[in-house]
Amino acid sequence: MAIEIKAFGLLADITGSDFSVIEQRDTDSLRQLLAERYPALSTIHYAIAIDKKIVSGNTLINETSSVALLPPFSGG
Amino acid sequence: MTEKKHKQIFVQGAISSAFIADSIQKHSTKTNIGAHSIFLGQVRSDSINDRKVVAIDYTTYEEMALEKMHELREGIFAKYPLTCMHIYHSLGTIAAGELCLFVFTSSIHRKEAIDACEEVVELIKKELPVWGKEIFEDESYQWKENK
Repeated sequence: MAIEIKAFGLLADITGSDFSVIEQRDTDSLRQLLAERYPALSTIHYAIAIDKKIVSGNTLINETSSVALLPPFSGG
Repeated sequence: MTEKKHKQIFVQGAISSAFIADSIQKHSTKTNIGAHSIFLGQVRSDSINDRKVVAIDYTTYEEMALEKMHELREGIFAKYPLTCMHIYHSLGTIAAGELCLFVFTSSIHRKEAIDACEEVVELIKKELPVWGKEIFEDESYQWKENK
């Protein structure tokens, strides 16, 4: 199963704004994979949104989920 | 799952003072209003390590931001007896000195409009997935973080 991921702000500079990962079934394993693939991420605090809601704690990812990586907000 | 259509708050480019004047004018027919409160966010030319910010480039996760704004709007209307509330946030490159956020609340008496306006500005900064990239004179940049 492939999961489509969107990244924003500073994170998009590092990962590209759209990419996909395979076989990541929860947010902890996704964070782990991203840390291995993009070492620059290790110093950056970011939130993960699933279906447009920020999740806390390890959360399951479905194939149909829309997953987004969100660095700290700086609007307004 | 069907996507609910939420009210658009984003505008491409800076918010003009003519647009703000028009928005105020449009409320003259709502004669139960006794008070308006307006917040305007302006792009500031910070100096960071001797480099001057000349613009901020704003991007958003629009679907999430509009859904979040809808939630925030419902919370504000539940808490304050407002007649109306209008919010506009710029996207794209906004030069220093230009306006990038316009929050406009109206109520029967002043306190509700003032308090709601202040609260919604804080919520926008804290909870809306919007990112500002500070662009320097030499075209280098850094990502902004809200304090």
